Amino acid sequence: MEPDLVFQVRGLTKTYRTAAGEVRALQGVDLDIEHGEVLVLLGPSGSGKSTLLNVLGGLDRASGGQAVFHGKDKVGRDLVPASDADLTRYRRRSVGFIFQFFNLSPSLTARENVELITEIADDPMDAREALDRVGLAARMDHFPAELSGGEQQRVAVARAIAKRPEILFCDEPTGSLDSASGIKVLEAITNVSADVGATTMIVTHNAVVADIAHRVLRFRDGLVTGIQKNAARKAAGELAW
Amino acid sequence: MRVLDRKLIRDFWRLKWQAGAIALLIACAVAVSVMAFSTQESLKSARDLDYAEARFADVFATAKRAPLPVARDLARIDGVTAVDPRALGFGLMRVPGLLRPATARLIALPDDDARALNRIVMTRGRMPDPNRTDEAVGLKTFLDAARVRLGDRLTMTVDGREFTVRVVGSALSAEFAYLPGSASQMPDDAHQAVLWAPRPVVERVTGRGGAFSSVSLSLAHGASTPKVLAEVDRILAPYGGQPAIARKDQVSNQFQQEHIDQLGVLALVIPPVFLVVAAGLVHLVLGRLVDTEREQIGLLKAFGYGDLEAASPYLKLAGGIGLVGSAAGGALGGWIGGLVTGLFYNYVRFTHIAMRFSWTAFAWASATAVLAALVGAAMAVRRAAALSPAVAMRPPAPAAFRKGLVERLALWRGLDQPTRMVVRSLERYPGRAGLTVLGLAASLSLLIGTQFMFGSVDEVLDQAYFRARHWSDLIGYAEGRDARAAVEAARLPGVIKAEPLQAAQARARFAGHEEKIVVYGVDSDGTLERPLDLHDRPVPFKGGAIVSDSLLARLHAKPGDRIEIEIYQDRRPRVVLPVTGMSRDYAGLGVFMDRLQLDRLMGDGDVATAAGLLVAADARPQFYAAVERTPQIVAAVSRADTVSAFRSAMLQTLTTEMTFYLAFASAIAFGIAYNICRINLAERGRDLATLRVLGFDQSECAYILAGEMLLLALAAGPLGVLGGQGLAQLLVQAFQHQDLRLPAVITPDAYGRSLLTYLLAVAVATALVTRRIWVLDLVAVLKTRE
Repeated sequence: MEPDLVFQVRGLTKTYRTAAGEVRALQGVDLDIEHGEVLVLLGPSGSGKSTLLNVLGGLDRASGGQAVFHGKDKVGRDLVPASDADLTRYRRRSVGFIFQFFNLSPSLTARENVELITEIADDPMDAREALDRVGLAARMDHFPAELSGGEQQRVAVARAIAKRPEILFCDEPTGSLDSASGIKVLEAITNVSADVGATTMIVTHNAVVADIAHRVLRFRDGLVTGIQKNAARKAAGELAW
Repeated sequence: MRVLDRKLIRDFWRLKWQAGAIALLIACAVAVSVMAFSTQESLKSARDLDYAEARFADVFATAKRAPLPVARDLARIDGVTAVDPRALGFGLMRVPGLLRPATARLIALPDDDARALNRIVMTRGRMPDPNRTDEAVGLKTFLDAARVRLGDRLTMTVDGREFTVRVVGSALSAEFAYLPGSASQMPDDAHQAVLWAPRPVVERVTGRGGAFSSVSLSLAHGASTPKVLAEVDRILAPYGGQPAIARKDQVSNQFQQEHIDQLGVLALVIPPVFLVVAAGLVHLVLGRLVDTEREQIGLLKAFGYGDLEAASPYLKLAGGIGLVGSAAGGALGGWIGGLVTGLFYNYVRFTHIAMRFSWTAFAWASATAVLAALVGAAMAVRRAAALSPAVAMRPPAPAAFRKGLVERLALWRGLDQPTRMVVRSLERYPGRAGLTVLGLAASLSLLIGTQFMFGSVDEVLDQAYFRARHWSDLIGYAEGRDARAAVEAARLPGVIKAEPLQAAQARARFAGHEEKIVVYGVDSDGTLERPLDLHDRPVPFKGGAIVSDSLLARLHAKPGDRIEIEIYQDRRPRVVLPVTGMSRDYAGLGVFMDRLQLDRLMGDGDVATAAGLLVAADARPQFYAAVERTPQIVAAVSRADTVSAFRSAMLQTLTTEMTFYLAFASAIAFGIAYNICRINLAERGRDLATLRVLGFDQSECAYILAGEMLLLALAAGPLGVLGGQGLAQLLVQAFQHQDLRLPAVITPDAYGRSLLTYLLAVAVATALVTRRIWVLDLVAVLKTRE
């Protein structure tokens, strides 16, 4: 049976021009991503994992190749030649983001930060429900400055999944957190993304996190150098670092 | 170069647009000062050169006819160093090509030019041949405006005698550097002829052999002018002397002085507004800079830099903005000063033209501007100096927001999240929002407060020439005539209605205050000219004096008080009259009386000095032809010509001035909006980029930035309107002088123009900043901590 693909990536390249010359961040990546997968991307700094995340997330445009996204409507759309407006629409409808530094709006309460998304999404869940799923319903009227780092990141998780995204991108989601908070955030990510059926891609330096993935992608010099399938996934709560 | 200085230069470059917007405001402040004082210096030095060359007199007097030996009595007055008596004739002149006859002054040239006062300066041609009886020199401005060429012949009627001269030369005169039209404050060059002819010729034409009708005196340094004036008045009284005037009250000199003084007012009122706003912006911009660079400041201190050393770049940055603004302002002010001086030379024809740049004003204005910038920087610098290295190197706590007042309102729930972000930001930084609103209000005030003058000119003209006066034409007699002459004027071709009018120079006194005034005698049942009160209702004559509001204010009198009026006529009659009514008059200082009552007071019988006429428009050529043939008429005034001359003269000056005000005031709105938006963008950049990543499009993000600015701009509206009204009142007070008091009439048109300009300036500045949202680096923002 044909696998249910979310992404079909073929020969994807990304070249940056800098004063020092060309930097080839992606040198021809081929990858298929299945619906509902949890992928962890590992690799040293500059290996290309974040660049791939940015291109698939519609934040950056590849220099060459294809990155075809198959949405709910099953129509394949290549992100590489897409216009700015197309990418904005793509991010708005289909993508959830979680950042290392939370990126919450300091002038909005937890609930309002989530509502920021639910107001523009097509079929969002209630903001309270999203916060409830990450265990923060009780603190939803607090401003970011009144929340701990871990709590802020869980608000970010709620914000990301409230629109019921098809794909969830997490860039170093635990990078700014202590291990206890980090694990709670990973629990939130894996649980709620499974609930809404989102495919999840997590970029991290923390190799321990790899244990929660279906597949682990290893990067070096702009290429996927290895794909490892976890026979048995661990739950986030079982991790320790 | 030290590293900190290199950092300073790079900071300056990085902040160039923000610093530039602030420097622009400083430039405006310095420019206004430099413009005002440079123009003052230019005008004063041109005038002083002219006066010295012309031997311009210190005292001027006229009489009906004073025998020449009386001049010797005048010369004996203590403090008088020279006396120059001359014969002077008035009449009407037919000028080929002009429909309306011109008012002509025929003035005797002195026998000895070296000892004469008010000497003329030849610009073309030659002086008349003393042995000929038909040559004259004409005032250049008249010759140019009336297109009279050297060699042309002009015919004038003086005291009923026709007299034809050939114009052989063109001259300028300090005495007539500014020459208003009859019954107007604006020049009407083509209809104001001044001709100089040899003394015997003028004496023959005016019938004043061995007598003079005008006299000028020069005074020794330190002589008491009031005493001399009183003596001159006493000596000339038996000869029909009119009140002698000092140089400061001479029409041309007074006009120049008032305008020179107004420039000083401008330089005092306008620049502080700019400097205060600039200081506020320096405060906000540097405050933000210190906040973003706190880690660097802490690092410097950790390396061993002293508090002041670490903070000094911010102080230098502010000083640099001040210096750049000052330099630009100096150049701008010099340029505008040249334009304004040039405009002034359109009204006042000096023989010397001086263009000065006031280095003193530039130095003072620059020093003040730099000081303002430094004061603006003080708080930020103090904060930078006070930062302890340990605290500074920790990242700042995230901006703490809390729920404000607005959230308790019911409408809060209807707001979307971006709008909530806008409102919360305003609540979070009330100080900044307040400063912004005040600054924007200052800009709007400046716009409204300076745009009122167009409306004022309309109101003055409407009141003076359409509401209070209903004559279409006015004829003036050389001296009082039997009022029947005015009735006869009704028989002139085209005249529908005629009413006699009487005007007499006088002094009004009340409780120790004294003013030089004009008393107008108007028929109580007349309709062509009547005093109107503040609500445009005719004021009835009740046997007393109807006094203009401005004269009452100057005399500190009120209706019901009894004021003394002394008429300047041979016998100097005095009368004490109750003030039975108050009238509005935007020009001059006047008292209205029933003409018959004034006649009784003067004791010359039923007399008129002018006649107000209603003339059919299609009969004008015949009417003027008849007027030219009528003896004793020395002025033919047309309402249409007067109004259009006034309007076009004012429009030319006002348009130039208003354009600069418009540009300057817009610079404030622009400078504020630009800087506040940049600060907001800097603070919100990460927030906005996150929103972009989350799927908001550029315009939705721009809304957050522009929405805040728009709210502030609208909040500043009412305050700006109030401030504008206040400023208009202030300027009107400062600009008012005896000849013309512009009312602070702000028309809907002026409001509209001001608001539109204001919103446009804010919109352009906001757009310039918000367009940066289109190029936000979405990737970088995810990788950086705020």
